[in-house]
Amino acid sequence: MNSVWQRNIIRGLFIIALQLLLLKRIDITFGDFNYIHFTIYSIIIVLLPYQMNRTGIVVIGFLLGIIVDIFYDSLGVHAAATTLIAYARYFILNLISPTEGYNKGGLTANNYGLPWFLTYLSIMVLLHLVTLYSIEAFSFVYLKEIILRSVFSFIASLFFITIGTLIFNPKY
Amino acid sequence: MRNIISLLIRYSAFIVFLTLECLSFYLIVNYNKSQKEIWANSSNMFTGGVNSYVQGVEDFFALQNRNDSLLIENAQLLETIINYRINSKDNSFQAFEDSDSTSNYSLIPSRVCSKTINLRNNYMTLCKGSKDSIQVGMGVLTEDGIAGIISQVSPDFSTVLMILNSESRTSAKIKGKNYFGNLLWRKSNPLIMTLTDVPKHAEIMVGDTIVTSGYSISYPEDVYIGTISDYSLRDGSNSYSIDVQLATDFSKTDYVYVVSYKLADQKEELISTDE
Repeated sequence: MNSVWQRNIIRGLFIIALQLLLLKRIDITFGDFNYIHFTIYSIIIVLLPYQMNRTGIVVIGFLLGIIVDIFYDSLGVHAAATTLIAYARYFILNLISPTEGYNKGGLTANNYGLPWFLTYLSIMVLLHLVTLYSIEAFSFVYLKEIILRSVFSFIASLFFITIGTLIFNPKY
Repeated sequence: MRNIISLLIRYSAFIVFLTLECLSFYLIVNYNKSQKEIWANSSNMFTGGVNSYVQGVEDFFALQNRNDSLLIENAQLLETIINYRINSKDNSFQAFEDSDSTSNYSLIPSRVCSKTINLRNNYMTLCKGSKDSIQVGMGVLTEDGIAGIISQVSPDFSTVLMILNSESRTSAKIKGKNYFGNLLWRKSNPLIMTLTDVPKHAEIMVGDTIVTSGYSISYPEDVYIGTISDYSLRDGSNSYSIDVQLATDFSKTDYVYVVSYKLADQKEELISTDE
């Protein structure tokens, strides 16, 4: 158990650092087209152990969001989105639970197979991004921008995370 | 108590979730400029929408009062204009305002209770009568032009012999040229009247303005009636037959002003002794 925690904490710190120090600076723009943002830190929530207390996950989600917010100068925006997916994680996992149940350890591609993991990951990341950009725009007047931004950032982020998963292929 | 605690524990994730989301939104609204503005604007938009709706309902109920007060205000303004026009052809408006002895005409605003405009002889009923000092023979104006002459009065109602009536004859003139004629209603179109008795040497043009002559006791001078839309001179006739496009659309007239002329009695007496 201890090692699972250590892994999660170290991975979390690494991903936060990657997000805030590197990915935040990546700015892909083609003229007016600036809808691509790599937003991958939600993977921390995705990979938390299944057995973990739901309340605890929500609190971690909020804290994670606040940390990201401080660096993005958008206090509350990321926190709201991350808290939402942290709470929704339990229901999503119930929705797509594999036939043999969640008893193989960490919620990773290594344990449950890549198709299952990608489904889970896609739902979480998409929910996160849609919420995030909706709250950022804060009004459905900008529906077109919200959708474009969510879709393109989703593709980019999912691509990034999948490559990371294939490289590291973590067990926990 | 234990139940409440167990309930709280069971739903702790949801409660924490809600609390943290509220906290996030609080932070968003308070620490982000654009979101703060959007929030302020959209809450304004919402409350503004509700307020204007409520105001609309309130206005609807106040509409009658407001209409009446506007009507009185209008009557006063028209009165001022008419009296000014009559009394001070060459004085300035300031001088007219300063002298207070010159207002011979006053207007009584009234609502139209019923009217016809499609018949050969049309009458209009006003919702005011002798109680509001309306008398037989007074002229009736609309905001655009003339409507007719009071023909019968009861305490609360009065009947107007409209200009759209075969018995109606109104003395009118072509503004600026001072050719006089009688305005009759010969056609069935409630927007067209006929000006007769304008001598054939008169120089008239389509578009000339027709106003009241001020010869009768009913209407003040120079009240706008309409414009010339067409004219013809029949062979062997000495006078033109002029079509006048009326300014007033009587189908839309809801309110009228009854003209009360202070010197009407004097003038009438003089005319009747003449005969």
